[in-house]
Amino acid sequence: MFDRDTDGVRIELRALTKHYPGQPAPAVDNITMDIPAGELVVFVGPSGCGKTTTMKMINRLVEPTSGEIRIGGKDVLSLDPDELRRHIGYAIQQVGLFPHQTVAQNIALVPKLLGWPQAKVDARVEELLALVSLEPSTFRDRYPRQLSGGQQQRVGVARALAADPPVMLMDEPFGATDPITREHLQNEFVRLQKQLRKTIIFVTHDFEEAIKLGDRIAVLREGSHIAQYDTPAAILSDPADDYVAGFIGQDATLKRLALVRVSDISIADPLPDLALPQVTAEASLREALDVMLAHGSDRCGTPSGVLTYAALCAAVGSRPEEAVSGGDVR
Amino acid sequence: MTAETLATGRVRAPGRLPFGPRHLIVPIAVGAVLLALYAWVGTLELDSIEQRSLNRSVILAKAVEHLQMTVAATALVVVIAIPLGVLASRSRNRLVAPVILTAGNLGQAVPCIGLLVLCTFLMGVGFQTALVGLVAYAVLPVLRNTMVGVQQVDPALIEAARGMGMTRGQVLRRVELKLAVPAILAGLRTALVLTVGVATLGAFVAAGGYGELIINGLKLNRMPVTIVGGVLTACIAFLVDWLGGLAEDLLKPRGI
Repeated sequence: MFDRDTDGVRIELRALTKHYPGQPAPAVDNITMDIPAGELVVFVGPSGCGKTTTMKMINRLVEPTSGEIRIGGKDVLSLDPDELRRHIGYAIQQVGLFPHQTVAQNIALVPKLLGWPQAKVDARVEELLALVSLEPSTFRDRYPRQLSGGQQQRVGVARALAADPPVMLMDEPFGATDPITREHLQNEFVRLQKQLRKTIIFVTHDFEEAIKLGDRIAVLREGSHIAQYDTPAAILSDPADDYVAGFIGQDATLKRLALVRVSDISIADPLPDLALPQVTAEASLREALDVMLAHGSDRCGTPSGVLTYAALCAAVGSRPEEAVSGGDVR
Repeated sequence: MTAETLATGRVRAPGRLPFGPRHLIVPIAVGAVLLALYAWVGTLELDSIEQRSLNRSVILAKAVEHLQMTVAATALVVVIAIPLGVLASRSRNRLVAPVILTAGNLGQAVPCIGLLVLCTFLMGVGFQTALVGLVAYAVLPVLRNTMVGVQQVDPALIEAARGMGMTRGQVLRRVELKLAVPAILAGLRTALVLTVGVATLGAFVAAGGYGELIINGLKLNRMPVTIVGGVLTACIAFLVDWLGGLAEDLLKPRGI
Protein backbone atom coordinates (compact mmCIF):
# COMPACT_ATOMS: atom_id res chain seq x y z
CA MET A 1 0.00 0.00 0.00
CA PHE A 2 2.78 2.47 0.91
CA ASP A 3 5.83 2.86 -1.31
CA ARG A 4 8.70 1.64 0.81
CA ASP A 5 12.32 2.29 0.20
CA THR A 6 14.89 0.27 2.13
CA ASP A 7 14.43 2.37 5.27
CA GLY A 8 10.67 2.01 5.57
CA VAL A 9 8.29 4.92 5.13
CA ARG A 10 8.25 8.40 6.56
CA ILE A 11 5.23 10.03 8.15
CA GLU A 12 4.44 13.70 7.65
CA LEU A 13 1.87 15.61 9.68
CA ARG A 14 0.88 19.00 8.30
CA ALA A 15 -1.16 21.50 10.34
CA LEU A 16 -3.12 18.60 11.82
CA THR A 17 -6.02 19.72 14.00
CA LYS A 18 -8.79 17.96 15.86
CA HIS A 19 -11.54 20.07 17.36
CA TYR A 20 -14.29 18.06 19.05
CA PRO A 21 -17.70 19.69 18.68
CA GLY A 22 -18.81 21.51 21.82
CA GLN A 23 -15.27 21.84 23.24
CA PRO A 24 -13.82 25.33 23.74
CA ALA A 25 -10.28 24.45 22.61
CA PRO A 26 -9.02 21.96 20.04
CA ALA A 27 -7.69 18.67 21.45
CA VAL A 28 -4.91 18.77 18.88
CA ASP A 29 -4.00 22.23 17.67
CA ASN A 30 -2.16 22.59 14.39
CA ILE A 31 0.66 20.08 14.81
CA THR A 32 3.25 19.80 12.06
CA MET A 33 6.04 17.27 12.26
CA ASP A 34 8.09 14.78 10.26
CA ILE A 35 8.77 11.26 11.45
CA PRO A 36 11.79 9.92 9.57
CA ALA A 37 11.59 6.48 7.99
CA GLY A 38 12.67 3.62 10.23
CA GLU A 39 12.78 5.68 13.41
CA LEU A 40 10.93 5.23 16.64
CA VAL A 41 9.44 8.54 17.75
CA VAL A 42 7.97 8.78 21.23
CA PHE A 43 5.14 11.19 21.98
CA VAL A 44 5.47 12.04 25.64
CA GLY A 45 3.33 14.41 27.66
CA PRO A 46 0.86 14.55 30.54
CA SER A 47 -2.56 12.88 30.39
CA GLY A 48 -5.00 14.77 28.19
CA CYS A 49 -2.34 16.64 26.22
CA GLY A 50 -3.66 15.17 22.96
CA LYS A 51 -0.84 12.71 22.26
CA THR A 52 -3.14 9.72 21.85
CA THR A 53 -5.57 11.74 19.72
CA THR A 54 -2.69 12.79 17.47
CA MET A 55 -1.64 9.17 17.09
CA LYS A 56 -5.17 7.96 16.39
CA MET A 57 -5.59 10.47 13.60
CA ILE A 58 -2.77 8.70 11.74
CA ASN A 59 -4.82 5.51 11.38
CA ARG A 60 -8.02 7.54 11.31
CA LEU A 61 -9.62 6.07 14.41
CA VAL A 62 -10.08 9.79 14.98
CA GLU A 63 -10.93 11.81 11.88
CA PRO A 64 -8.95 15.07 11.72
CA THR A 65 -10.89 18.34 11.58
CA SER A 66 -8.30 19.80 9.24
CA GLY A 67 -4.75 19.26 8.10
CA GLU A 68 -2.90 16.63 6.16
CA ILE A 69 -1.25 13.28 6.91
CA ARG A 70 1.13 11.58 4.53
CA ILE A 71 2.62 8.13 5.00
CA GLY A 72 5.32 7.25 2.51
CA GLY A 73 4.12 10.18 0.42
CA LYS A 74 0.52 8.91 0.24
CA ASP A 75 -2.30 11.13 1.40
CA VAL A 76 -3.88 9.09 4.20
CA LEU A 77 -7.17 11.00 4.18
CA SER A 78 -7.89 9.90 0.61
CA LEU A 79 -7.57 6.18 1.44
CA ASP A 80 -10.26 3.79 2.66
CA PRO A 81 -9.87 3.82 6.47
CA ASP A 82 -10.32 0.07 6.96
CA GLU A 83 -7.86 -0.77 4.22
CA LEU A 84 -5.42 1.83 5.60
CA ARG A 85 -5.54 0.33 9.11
CA ARG A 86 -4.69 -3.14 7.83
CA HIS A 87 -1.33 -1.71 6.75
CA ILE A 88 -0.57 0.03 10.04
CA GLY A 89 0.35 -2.01 13.11
CA TYR A 90 -1.65 -1.06 16.18
CA ALA A 91 -0.96 -2.00 19.79
CA ILE A 92 -2.75 -0.55 22.81
CA GLN A 93 -2.29 -0.56 26.57
CA GLN A 94 -5.28 -2.82 27.24
CA VAL A 95 -3.84 -5.19 24.58
CA GLY A 96 -7.35 -6.05 23.39
CA LEU A 97 -6.72 -9.71 22.57
CA PHE A 98 -9.96 -11.43 21.59
CA PRO A 99 -10.77 -13.79 24.47
CA HIS A 100 -12.70 -16.23 22.27
CA GLN A 101 -9.79 -16.75 19.90
CA THR A 102 -6.54 -18.61 20.46
CA VAL A 103 -3.19 -16.84 20.41
CA ALA A 104 -2.62 -18.06 16.85
CA GLN A 105 -6.05 -16.82 15.70
CA ASN A 106 -5.44 -13.45 17.31
CA ILE A 107 -2.11 -13.03 15.55
CA ALA A 108 -3.51 -14.28 12.24
CA LEU A 109 -6.25 -11.65 12.21
CA VAL A 110 -4.79 -8.99 9.92
CA PRO A 111 -3.10 -11.44 7.51
CA LYS A 112 -6.50 -13.17 7.16
CA LEU A 113 -8.19 -9.81 6.52
CA LEU A 114 -5.62 -9.22 3.80
CA GLY A 115 -6.45 -12.60 2.27
CA TRP A 116 -3.15 -14.37 2.79
CA PRO A 117 -3.18 -18.13 2.01
CA GLN A 118 -3.47 -20.33 5.11
CA ALA A 119 0.01 -21.84 4.79
CA LYS A 120 1.61 -18.39 4.72
CA VAL A 121 -0.48 -17.29 7.72
CA ASP A 122 0.55 -20.37 9.73
CA ALA A 123 4.22 -19.85 8.95
CA ARG A 124 3.96 -16.18 9.92
CA VAL A 125 2.33 -17.02 13.26
CA GLU A 126 5.19 -19.39 14.12
CA GLU A 127 7.75 -16.82 13.10
CA LEU A 128 6.16 -14.04 15.16
CA LEU A 129 5.73 -16.14 18.30
CA ALA A 130 9.41 -17.02 18.12
CA LEU A 131 10.24 -13.35 17.54
CA VAL A 132 8.50 -12.27 20.76
CA SER A 133 10.11 -15.18 22.67
CA LEU A 134 7.01 -17.34 23.11
CA GLU A 135 7.48 -21.02 22.26
CA PRO A 136 5.01 -21.58 19.36
CA SER A 137 4.10 -25.17 20.22
CA THR A 138 3.27 -24.15 23.81
CA PHE A 139 1.42 -20.92 23.19
CA ARG A 140 -0.20 -21.23 19.76
CA ASP A 141 -3.39 -22.89 20.95
CA ARG A 142 -3.78 -21.13 24.28
CA TYR A 143 -6.52 -18.63 24.97
CA PRO A 144 -5.60 -15.12 26.17
CA ARG A 145 -6.88 -15.67 29.69
CA GLN A 146 -4.38 -18.49 30.08
CA LEU A 147 -1.50 -16.04 29.61
CA SER A 148 0.20 -13.74 32.11
CA GLY A 149 0.00 -9.97 31.57
CA GLY A 150 3.50 -9.84 30.07
CA GLN A 151 2.74 -12.73 27.72
CA GLN A 152 -0.45 -10.99 26.59
CA GLN A 153 1.52 -7.83 25.80
CA ARG A 154 3.95 -9.88 23.70
CA VAL A 155 1.09 -11.44 21.77
CA GLY A 156 -0.32 -7.92 21.31
CA VAL A 157 2.96 -6.76 19.79
CA ALA A 158 3.15 -9.89 17.63
CA ARG A 159 -0.40 -9.25 16.41
CA ALA A 160 0.48 -5.67 15.53
CA LEU A 161 3.51 -6.92 13.56
CA ALA A 162 1.61 -9.73 11.87
CA ALA A 163 1.22 -8.37 8.34
CA ASP A 164 4.68 -6.79 8.46
CA PRO A 165 3.36 -3.22 8.33
CA PRO A 166 5.95 -0.51 7.62
CA VAL A 167 4.31 1.75 10.20
CA MET A 168 3.34 0.92 13.78
CA LEU A 169 1.30 2.92 16.27
CA MET A 170 1.74 1.94 19.90
CA ASP A 171 -0.26 3.49 22.72
CA GLU A 172 1.49 2.68 26.03
CA PRO A 173 1.75 -0.97 25.00
CA PHE A 174 3.71 -1.89 28.15
CA GLY A 175 1.77 0.38 30.48
CA ALA A 176 -0.33 -2.26 32.22
CA THR A 177 2.54 -4.52 33.32
CA ASP A 178 4.56 -4.57 36.54
CA PRO A 179 7.90 -2.71 36.53
CA ILE A 180 10.08 -5.80 36.16
CA THR A 181 8.06 -7.21 33.26
CA ARG A 182 7.94 -3.77 31.66
CA GLU A 183 11.72 -3.40 31.84
CA HIS A 184 12.07 -6.81 30.26
CA LEU A 185 9.57 -6.06 27.48
CA GLN A 186 11.25 -2.72 26.77
CA ASN A 187 14.67 -4.36 26.42
CA GLU A 188 13.27 -6.94 24.04
CA PHE A 189 11.46 -4.29 22.08
CA VAL A 190 14.69 -2.28 21.65
CA ARG A 191 16.35 -5.44 20.33
CA LEU A 192 13.38 -6.12 18.02
CA GLN A 193 13.31 -2.62 16.59
CA LYS A 194 17.07 -2.72 15.88
CA GLN A 195 16.27 -5.71 13.69
CA LEU A 196 13.02 -4.48 12.10
CA ARG A 197 13.60 -0.74 11.60
CA LYS A 198 9.89 0.10 11.37
CA THR A 199 8.61 3.64 11.49
CA ILE A 200 7.00 3.67 14.92
CA ILE A 201 4.99 6.22 16.83
CA PHE A 202 5.01 5.31 20.49
CA VAL A 203 2.84 7.14 23.00
CA THR A 204 3.72 7.18 26.69
CA HIS A 205 3.63 9.45 29.72
CA ASP A 206 6.73 7.78 31.16
CA PHE A 207 9.79 9.85 30.30
CA GLU A 208 12.20 7.07 31.33
CA GLU A 209 10.50 4.80 28.80
CA ALA A 210 10.74 7.54 26.17
CA ILE A 211 14.52 7.89 26.70
CA LYS A 212 15.02 4.17 26.64
CA LEU A 213 13.08 3.43 23.45
CA GLY A 214 13.03 6.59 21.38
CA ASP A 215 15.27 7.52 18.49
CA ARG A 216 13.57 10.88 18.91
CA ILE A 217 11.23 12.25 21.53
CA ALA A 218 8.47 14.76 20.97
CA VAL A 219 7.61 16.38 24.29
CA LEU A 220 4.02 17.60 23.95
CA ARG A 221 2.07 20.10 25.98
CA GLU A 222 -1.65 20.91 26.11
CA GLY A 223 -3.29 20.83 22.65
CA SER A 224 -0.49 18.60 21.32
CA HIS A 225 1.82 21.60 20.90
CA ILE A 226 5.39 20.44 20.45
CA ALA A 227 7.53 21.73 23.33
CA GLN A 228 10.65 20.03 22.00
CA TYR A 229 11.32 17.43 19.32
CA ASP A 230 14.83 16.00 19.33
CA THR A 231 16.99 13.02 20.21
CA PRO A 232 16.93 11.88 23.85
CA ALA A 233 20.54 13.01 24.40
CA ALA A 234 19.84 16.49 23.00
CA ILE A 235 16.69 16.92 25.09
CA LEU A 236 18.52 15.82 28.25
CA SER A 237 21.54 18.04 27.70
CA ASP A 238 19.65 21.05 26.41
CA PRO A 239 15.96 21.18 27.38
CA ALA A 240 14.09 23.85 25.42
CA ASP A 241 12.30 25.38 28.41
CA ASP A 242 11.18 24.86 32.00
CA TYR A 243 8.28 22.66 30.92
CA VAL A 244 10.63 20.18 29.26
CA ALA A 245 13.13 20.45 32.13
CA GLY A 246 10.30 19.71 34.56
CA PHE A 247 9.47 16.61 32.58
CA ILE A 248 13.05 15.37 32.69
CA GLY A 249 13.29 15.80 36.45
CA GLN A 250 16.36 16.56 38.57
CA ASP A 251 18.66 13.81 37.34
CA ALA A 252 19.10 14.77 33.69
CA THR A 253 22.83 14.04 33.74
CA LEU A 254 22.37 10.61 35.26
CA LYS A 255 19.75 9.89 32.58
CA ARG A 256 22.26 10.92 29.90
CA LEU A 257 24.85 8.56 31.39
CA ALA A 258 22.25 5.80 31.17
CA LEU A 259 21.99 6.35 27.40
CA VAL A 260 25.69 5.62 26.77
CA ARG A 261 27.22 2.16 26.93
CA VAL A 262 30.75 1.47 28.10
CA SER A 263 31.54 0.14 24.65
CA ASP A 264 30.41 3.42 23.08
CA ILE A 265 33.23 5.59 24.47
CA SER A 266 36.92 5.39 23.75
CA ILE A 267 38.99 4.49 26.77
CA ALA A 268 42.28 6.29 27.37
CA ASP A 269 44.01 3.56 29.35
CA PRO A 270 43.57 0.36 27.31
CA LEU A 271 45.18 -2.01 29.83
CA PRO A 272 42.62 -4.13 31.70
CA ASP A 273 43.16 -3.92 35.46
CA LEU A 274 41.54 -6.88 37.17
CA ALA A 275 42.23 -5.48 40.64
CA LEU A 276 39.51 -2.82 40.08
CA PRO A 277 35.75 -3.45 40.31
CA GLN A 278 34.59 -4.64 36.88
CA VAL A 279 31.70 -3.72 34.56
CA THR A 280 30.77 -5.33 31.23
CA ALA A 281 31.06 -3.63 27.83
CA GLU A 282 27.25 -3.72 27.58
CA ALA A 283 26.76 -1.85 30.87
CA SER A 284 25.70 1.80 30.73
CA LEU A 285 27.93 4.58 32.07
CA ARG A 286 25.33 5.07 34.79
CA GLU A 287 25.91 1.53 35.94
CA ALA A 288 29.67 2.11 35.80
CA LEU A 289 29.24 5.20 38.00
CA ASP A 290 27.14 3.14 40.39
CA VAL A 291 29.97 0.60 40.68
CA MET A 292 32.51 3.38 41.33
CA LEU A 293 30.36 4.96 44.05
CA ALA A 294 29.72 1.59 45.67
CA HIS A 295 33.45 0.85 45.87
CA GLY A 296 34.51 4.40 46.74
CA SER A 297 36.77 4.42 43.71
CA ASP A 298 37.14 6.90 40.85
CA ARG A 299 37.85 4.18 38.32
CA CYS A 300 36.59 0.77 37.30
CA GLY A 301 37.75 -1.98 35.01
CA THR A 302 36.11 -2.82 31.69
CA PRO A 303 37.01 -5.50 29.13
CA SER A 304 38.66 -2.79 27.00
CA GLY A 305 40.61 -1.00 29.72
CA VAL A 306 40.21 1.24 32.76
CA LEU A 307 37.26 3.65 32.85
CA THR A 308 37.87 6.75 34.94
CA TYR A 309 35.56 9.24 36.58
CA ALA A 310 37.07 11.91 34.32
CA ALA A 311 35.98 9.89 31.28
CA LEU A 312 32.40 9.87 32.61
CA CYS A 313 32.53 13.64 33.01
CA ALA A 314 33.90 13.99 29.50
CA ALA A 315 31.07 11.81 28.18
CA VAL A 316 28.47 14.29 29.48
CA GLY A 317 30.61 17.30 28.50
CA SER A 318 31.73 18.59 31.89
CA ARG A 319 35.21 18.88 33.43
CA PRO A 320 36.01 16.82 36.54
CA GLU A 321 37.76 19.76 38.32
CA GLU A 322 34.45 21.65 38.42
CA ALA A 323 32.39 18.68 39.38
CA VAL A 324 34.47 17.48 42.31
CA SER A 325 35.40 20.11 44.83
CA GLY A 326 38.33 19.13 47.03
CA GLY A 327 40.34 17.47 44.31
CA ASP A 328 41.25 13.83 44.63
CA VAL A 329 38.26 11.69 45.58
CA ARG A 330 40.39 8.77 46.70
CA MET B 1 -13.51 -22.66 37.07
CA THR B 2 -10.93 -19.99 36.39
CA ALA B 3 -8.55 -21.17 39.08
CA GLU B 4 -8.95 -24.73 37.93
CA THR B 5 -8.24 -24.00 34.26
CA LEU B 6 -5.34 -21.74 35.13
CA ALA B 7 -3.82 -24.43 37.30
CA THR B 8 -3.97 -27.08 34.61
CA GLY B 9 -3.19 -24.50 31.97
CA ARG B 10 -5.78 -25.63 29.46
CA VAL B 11 -9.33 -24.93 28.39
CA ARG B 12 -11.76 -27.70 27.43
CA ALA B 13 -10.27 -29.85 24.71
CA PRO B 14 -11.84 -29.09 21.31
CA GLY B 15 -14.71 -31.36 20.37
CA ARG B 16 -15.27 -32.83 23.82
CA LEU B 17 -18.74 -32.38 25.21
CA PRO B 18 -18.98 -31.09 28.75
CA PHE B 19 -21.36 -33.90 29.58
CA GLY B 20 -21.32 -35.25 33.08
CA PRO B 21 -23.56 -36.93 35.66
CA ARG B 22 -25.07 -33.59 36.70
CA HIS B 23 -26.59 -33.29 33.23
CA LEU B 24 -28.61 -36.45 33.84
CA ILE B 25 -30.46 -35.22 36.93
CA VAL B 26 -33.25 -33.38 35.07
CA PRO B 27 -34.13 -36.13 32.55
CA ILE B 28 -34.12 -38.76 35.30
CA ALA B 29 -36.38 -36.64 37.53
CA VAL B 30 -38.76 -35.90 34.66
CA GLY B 31 -38.82 -39.60 33.75
CA ALA B 32 -39.68 -40.48 37.33
CA VAL B 33 -42.52 -37.93 37.44
CA LEU B 34 -43.93 -39.25 34.14
CA LEU B 35 -43.82 -42.84 35.43
CA ALA B 36 -45.55 -41.83 38.64
CA LEU B 37 -48.21 -39.97 36.64
CA TYR B 38 -48.74 -43.01 34.43
CA ALA B 39 -49.02 -45.31 37.41
CA TRP B 40 -51.46 -42.96 39.15
CA VAL B 41 -53.73 -42.62 36.10
CA GLY B 42 -53.59 -46.42 35.75
CA THR B 43 -55.16 -46.80 39.21
CA LEU B 44 -58.12 -44.55 38.31
CA GLU B 45 -61.45 -45.73 36.92
CA LEU B 46 -61.71 -43.46 33.84
CA ASP B 47 -65.17 -42.63 32.52
CA SER B 48 -65.82 -42.14 28.79
CA ILE B 49 -65.18 -38.37 28.91
CA GLU B 50 -61.83 -38.88 30.59
CA GLN B 51 -60.95 -41.71 28.22
CA ARG B 52 -61.54 -39.42 25.27
CA SER B 53 -58.73 -37.13 26.54
CA LEU B 54 -56.42 -39.51 28.37
CA ASN B 55 -55.31 -41.90 25.68
CA ARG B 56 -52.03 -42.29 23.90
CA SER B 57 -52.98 -40.77 20.54
CA VAL B 58 -54.50 -37.60 22.07
CA ILE B 59 -51.61 -37.05 24.46
CA LEU B 60 -49.05 -37.53 21.69
CA ALA B 61 -50.96 -35.28 19.30
CA LYS B 62 -51.23 -32.55 21.95
CA ALA B 63 -47.51 -32.89 22.73
CA VAL B 64 -46.69 -32.39 19.07
CA GLU B 65 -48.98 -29.34 18.86
CA HIS B 66 -47.48 -27.88 22.02
CA LEU B 67 -43.92 -28.36 20.82
CA GLN B 68 -44.76 -27.00 17.37
CA MET B 69 -46.06 -23.81 18.92
CA THR B 70 -43.03 -23.52 21.20
CA VAL B 71 -40.47 -24.16 18.48
CA ALA B 72 -42.14 -21.95 15.88
CA ALA B 73 -42.55 -19.09 18.36
CA THR B 74 -38.94 -19.36 19.53
CA ALA B 75 -37.66 -19.42 15.95
CA LEU B 76 -39.63 -16.26 15.22
CA VAL B 77 -38.33 -14.68 18.43
CA VAL B 78 -34.76 -15.37 17.33
CA VAL B 79 -35.39 -13.81 13.94
CA ILE B 80 -37.08 -10.75 15.42
CA ALA B 81 -35.37 -10.13 18.77
CA ILE B 82 -31.68 -10.62 17.93
CA PRO B 83 -31.56 -8.07 15.09
CA LEU B 84 -33.66 -5.65 17.17
CA GLY B 85 -31.34 -6.15 20.14
CA VAL B 86 -28.31 -5.41 17.98
CA LEU B 87 -30.06 -2.35 16.57
CA ALA B 88 -30.84 -1.10 20.06
CA SER B 89 -27.25 -1.67 21.20
CA ARG B 90 -25.71 0.64 18.56
CA SER B 91 -24.72 3.94 20.07
CA ARG B 92 -25.99 5.88 17.07
CA ASN B 93 -29.46 4.44 17.77
CA ARG B 94 -29.62 6.01 21.22
CA LEU B 95 -33.02 7.50 20.38
CA VAL B 96 -34.53 4.32 18.95
CA ALA B 97 -33.33 1.98 21.69
CA PRO B 98 -35.87 3.07 24.33
CA VAL B 99 -38.69 2.68 21.80
CA ILE B 100 -37.61 -0.86 20.97
CA LEU B 101 -37.23 -1.76 24.63
CA THR B 102 -40.60 -0.27 25.50
CA ALA B 103 -42.24 -2.32 22.76
CA GLY B 104 -40.57 -5.44 24.17
CA ASN B 105 -41.68 -4.57 27.70
CA LEU B 106 -45.20 -3.93 26.50
CA GLY B 107 -45.32 -7.36 24.85
CA GLN B 108 -44.58 -8.95 28.18
CA ALA B 109 -46.69 -6.60 30.30
CA VAL B 110 -49.92 -6.88 28.31
CA PRO B 111 -51.81 -9.98 29.51
CA CYS B 112 -51.24 -12.63 26.90
CA ILE B 113 -54.84 -13.81 27.03
CA GLY B 114 -56.06 -10.28 26.19
CA LEU B 115 -53.65 -10.07 23.30
CA LEU B 116 -54.87 -13.41 22.00
CA VAL B 117 -58.48 -12.23 22.11
CA LEU B 118 -57.53 -9.07 20.18
CA CYS B 119 -55.65 -11.13 17.62
CA THR B 120 -58.65 -13.40 17.23
CA PHE B 121 -60.72 -10.41 16.08
CA LEU B 122 -58.06 -9.59 13.48
CA MET B 123 -56.87 -13.01 12.36
CA GLY B 124 -59.51 -15.52 13.46
CA VAL B 125 -58.55 -18.56 15.54
CA GLY B 126 -55.75 -21.04 14.96
CA PHE B 127 -52.04 -21.67 15.09
CA GLN B 128 -50.94 -18.27 13.67
CA THR B 129 -52.99 -16.34 16.20
CA ALA B 130 -51.41 -18.26 19.05
CA LEU B 131 -47.97 -17.59 17.57
CA VAL B 132 -48.51 -13.82 17.63
CA GLY B 133 -49.31 -13.90 21.32
CA LEU B 134 -46.40 -16.18 22.15
CA VAL B 135 -43.88 -14.17 20.17
CA ALA B 136 -45.01 -10.90 21.72
CA TYR B 137 -44.60 -12.46 25.13
CA ALA B 138 -41.18 -14.06 24.58
CA VAL B 139 -39.39 -11.33 22.61
CA LEU B 140 -38.29 -9.31 25.65
CA PRO B 141 -35.74 -11.65 27.30
CA VAL B 142 -33.92 -12.30 24.04
CA LEU B 143 -34.06 -8.66 22.98
CA ARG B 144 -32.77 -7.36 26.28
CA ASN B 145 -30.04 -10.00 26.62
CA THR B 146 -28.81 -9.42 23.07
CA MET B 147 -28.64 -5.69 23.72
CA VAL B 148 -26.85 -6.03 27.06
CA GLY B 149 -24.62 -8.83 25.75
CA VAL B 150 -23.40 -6.70 22.86
CA GLN B 151 -23.06 -3.55 24.94
CA GLN B 152 -20.99 -5.20 27.65
CA VAL B 153 -18.20 -6.14 25.22
CA ASP B 154 -15.00 -4.42 26.39
CA PRO B 155 -14.59 -1.17 24.37
CA ALA B 156 -10.83 -1.85 24.19
CA LEU B 157 -11.58 -4.99 22.15
CA ILE B 158 -13.65 -3.00 19.70
CA GLU B 159 -10.97 -0.33 19.45
CA ALA B 160 -8.32 -2.98 18.82
CA ALA B 161 -10.51 -4.62 16.19
CA ARG B 162 -11.22 -1.34 14.41
CA GLY B 163 -7.56 -0.32 14.72
CA MET B 164 -6.49 -3.47 12.91
CA GLY B 165 -8.80 -2.76 10.00
CA MET B 166 -11.92 -4.80 10.68
CA THR B 167 -15.04 -3.19 9.21
CA ARG B 168 -17.99 -2.41 11.49
CA GLY B 169 -19.80 -5.48 10.17
CA GLN B 170 -16.80 -7.71 10.84
CA VAL B 171 -16.48 -6.34 14.37
CA LEU B 172 -20.16 -7.07 14.99
CA ARG B 173 -20.11 -10.59 13.57
CA ARG B 174 -16.70 -11.79 14.70
CA VAL B 175 -16.30 -10.02 18.01
CA GLU B 176 -19.43 -8.47 19.49
CA LEU B 177 -21.98 -11.17 18.64
CA LYS B 178 -19.52 -13.98 19.43
CA LEU B 179 -18.89 -12.55 22.87
CA ALA B 180 -22.61 -11.93 23.40
CA VAL B 181 -23.47 -15.58 22.69
CA PRO B 182 -23.68 -16.64 26.36
CA ALA B 183 -26.04 -13.75 27.18
CA ILE B 184 -28.18 -14.35 24.09
CA LEU B 185 -28.45 -18.07 24.83
CA ALA B 186 -29.45 -17.35 28.42
CA GLY B 187 -32.21 -15.07 27.13
CA LEU B 188 -33.32 -17.69 24.64
CA ARG B 189 -33.52 -20.32 27.36
CA THR B 190 -35.74 -18.04 29.43
CA ALA B 191 -37.88 -17.33 26.36
CA LEU B 192 -38.27 -21.05 25.65
CA VAL B 193 -39.47 -21.85 29.14
CA LEU B 194 -41.86 -18.90 29.11
CA THR B 195 -43.23 -20.04 25.76
CA VAL B 196 -43.90 -23.59 26.95
CA GLY B 197 -45.99 -22.21 29.80
CA VAL B 198 -47.84 -19.58 27.82
CA ALA B 199 -48.50 -22.01 24.95
CA THR B 200 -51.22 -23.57 27.17
CA LEU B 201 -53.24 -20.43 26.35
CA GLY B 202 -53.16 -21.52 22.72
CA ALA B 203 -56.10 -23.78 23.59
CA PHE B 204 -58.31 -20.66 23.87
CA VAL B 205 -57.73 -19.88 20.19
CA ALA B 206 -58.08 -23.48 19.07
CA ALA B 207 -54.36 -23.97 18.51
CA GLY B 208 -54.27 -27.19 20.56
CA GLY B 209 -51.50 -28.18 22.92
CA TYR B 210 -51.72 -29.36 26.51
CA GLY B 211 -53.77 -26.28 27.33
CA GLU B 212 -56.67 -28.14 25.78
CA LEU B 213 -56.43 -30.93 28.38
CA ILE B 214 -56.27 -28.40 31.20
CA ILE B 215 -59.25 -26.38 29.96
CA ASN B 216 -61.36 -29.42 29.08
CA GLY B 217 -60.69 -30.91 32.48
CA LEU B 218 -61.80 -27.69 34.15
CA LYS B 219 -64.88 -27.20 31.98
CA LEU B 220 -66.07 -30.78 32.33
CA ASN B 221 -65.02 -31.04 35.97
CA ARG B 222 -62.59 -33.93 35.34
CA MET B 223 -59.63 -33.29 37.63
CA PRO B 224 -57.38 -36.12 36.33
CA VAL B 225 -57.48 -34.58 32.84
CA THR B 226 -56.45 -31.16 34.14
CA ILE B 227 -53.70 -32.63 36.30
CA VAL B 228 -52.28 -34.69 33.44
CA GLY B 229 -52.25 -31.61 31.19
CA GLY B 230 -50.56 -29.48 33.84
CA VAL B 231 -47.93 -32.04 34.81
CA LEU B 232 -47.07 -32.79 31.18
CA THR B 233 -46.66 -29.07 30.44
CA ALA B 234 -44.35 -28.70 33.43
CA CYS B 235 -42.34 -31.72 32.26
CA ILE B 236 -41.90 -30.19 28.82
CA ALA B 237 -40.78 -26.93 30.41
CA PHE B 238 -38.15 -28.75 32.49
CA LEU B 239 -36.88 -30.70 29.49
CA VAL B 240 -36.71 -27.60 27.31
CA ASP B 241 -34.79 -25.77 30.04
CA TRP B 242 -32.45 -28.74 30.28
CA LEU B 243 -31.85 -28.71 26.53
CA GLY B 244 -31.26 -24.94 26.70
CA GLY B 245 -28.63 -25.50 29.38
CA LEU B 246 -26.88 -28.10 27.25
CA ALA B 247 -26.95 -25.75 24.28
CA GLU B 248 -25.41 -22.99 26.39
CA ASP B 249 -22.53 -25.22 27.44
CA LEU B 250 -22.08 -26.45 23.90
CA LEU B 251 -22.34 -23.23 21.91
CA LYS B 252 -20.51 -20.90 24.30
CA PRO B 253 -17.28 -19.79 22.57
CA ARG B 254 -14.26 -21.48 24.09
CA GLY B 255 -11.82 -19.27 25.91
CA ILE B 256 -14.39 -17.08 27.68
